[in-house]
Amino acid sequence: MIGADETLFIDIGCSQQKKYNQNTYGDFFISKRYPEERRLIAVLSDGLGSGVKANILANMTATMILKFVAAGHNLMKAAEIVMNSLPVCQVRKISYATFSVADCSETGAVKIVEEGNPEFLYIKNGKVVPQEAKVIVSKKFPNRFMRTYTIDMDVGDRLLFCSDGVTQSGLGGATYKLGWRREGLIDFVERRLSLIPDMSCRQLAQEVVAEAQTKEPERKAKDDISCMVLHWREPRSLLVFTGPPYYADRDAEYAHLFINYQGKKAICGGTTANLVSRELNRPITTEMFVKGALPANSYMEGVDLITEGVLTLSKAVEYLEDAPEELPDDAAGKLVNLFLDSDCITFMVGAKVNQAHFDPDLPLELELRKNVVKRMEKILTQKYLKQVSLHFI
Amino acid sequence: MLNEGKIKVQICLGTTCFVMGASKLQDLERMLPPEWKDKVDISAQTCLGMCQNPDSGFIKAPFVKINDEMIGEASVEKVIDKLKELIVV
Repeated sequence: MIGADETLFIDIGCSQQKKYNQNTYGDFFISKRYPEERRLIAVLSDGLGSGVKANILANMTATMILKFVAAGHNLMKAAEIVMNSLPVCQVRKISYATFSVADCSETGAVKIVEEGNPEFLYIKNGKVVPQEAKVIVSKKFPNRFMRTYTIDMDVGDRLLFCSDGVTQSGLGGATYKLGWRREGLIDFVERRLSLIPDMSCRQLAQEVVAEAQTKEPERKAKDDISCMVLHWREPRSLLVFTGPPYYADRDAEYAHLFINYQGKKAICGGTTANLVSRELNRPITTEMFVKGALPANSYMEGVDLITEGVLTLSKAVEYLEDAPEELPDDAAGKLVNLFLDSDCITFMVGAKVNQAHFDPDLPLELELRKNVVKRMEKILTQKYLKQVSLHFI
Repeated sequence: MLNEGKIKVQICLGTTCFVMGASKLQDLERMLPPEWKDKVDISAQTCLGMCQNPDSGFIKAPFVKINDEMIGEASVEKVIDKLKELIVV
């Protein structure tokens, strides 16, 4: 376990694939961070059947558990109440929705309850370590039970949850008569992590779902396929410097502050890049390729990404809002990738305004940098659960 | 040096220049006559700082710097015309 005063970042990623020919997901994933309590609750629920009905069942179950636990109820108690209250399908005589819930602390303590979903994987040093469960049988329904676990996570440990669409993928086909199964999943995850030990949760979840789908004949998923990964690790930080400082005599100070930052560094803005280049005496080179509707990237030693300012930032906000499955290979796409692969993001926002941006002859209206960054902060915090801080300089 | 004696063309890709038409200038290299390729060195710049310079007179973005001369409201045609003068001389 991690020391009491030491906290880690809990990374979380989820990926899903709909059942073939359905227009909505029958599995539902929800998570919420509680920064004051240094806590994160994540739920994955699989609704009976598929399509809209399953989606509503899973959504209701997951949301109910999350709200229950967040309201301060004991996780085991909350899960038990939900387990006992879930209706039974009249035709199949089984529960309407299954669930897995993890109540995680940044200090490493985790409580897990599973009802009906495949058993989760606890991954330590890239290897799956079996965990012993305490089984609680429902008082109301004798065929319904939940498995509960308490684990102390260490730096680098991961948890992987999935719906039965993953372990049963390929079932009945020529190659995987009994499906991919838990053994196949464990083998795949261990193999991938031995190649890329620091793989992000997002990528691991995506890879598991993609691999499960390839097991299905003609890649047509017979069930909804979902995977959720949690990872306790040192926070990955990113500093974004955008806009020159209000007081030009502080340029040097901020340039040094920027370059000495421990973590990844990005500059959004031509003038800002020039300022850093001038103060640190490091040359900039700029690409000439046309990439999308944005100016190309530039490069400087010690800086991970350099882009143009307000157009690129506005485009990046758009990408964050629309969340396309594949990000375009332009400067904003690269910036968004950098955001998604960071946990703590700090913006150093220069307050100097470029008068030319208000020229009525400009063919489009340029947003104020400050406003774009504020919108970005909101979406990164609320939708992507990042820790964001803004500093206006 | 490799670029010695070449005409230096610097295209500003700052925000103002980009929206005012520099986006079209990124293709400049492809539009030059092939025999000029060895005579011209084209590069992009994060920002030439002209749009925020009150002394830039009345010339406007997009800006292209050809050797030491700043060209305002630059277009592919305007840059090629200027290069023609320099290459003929």
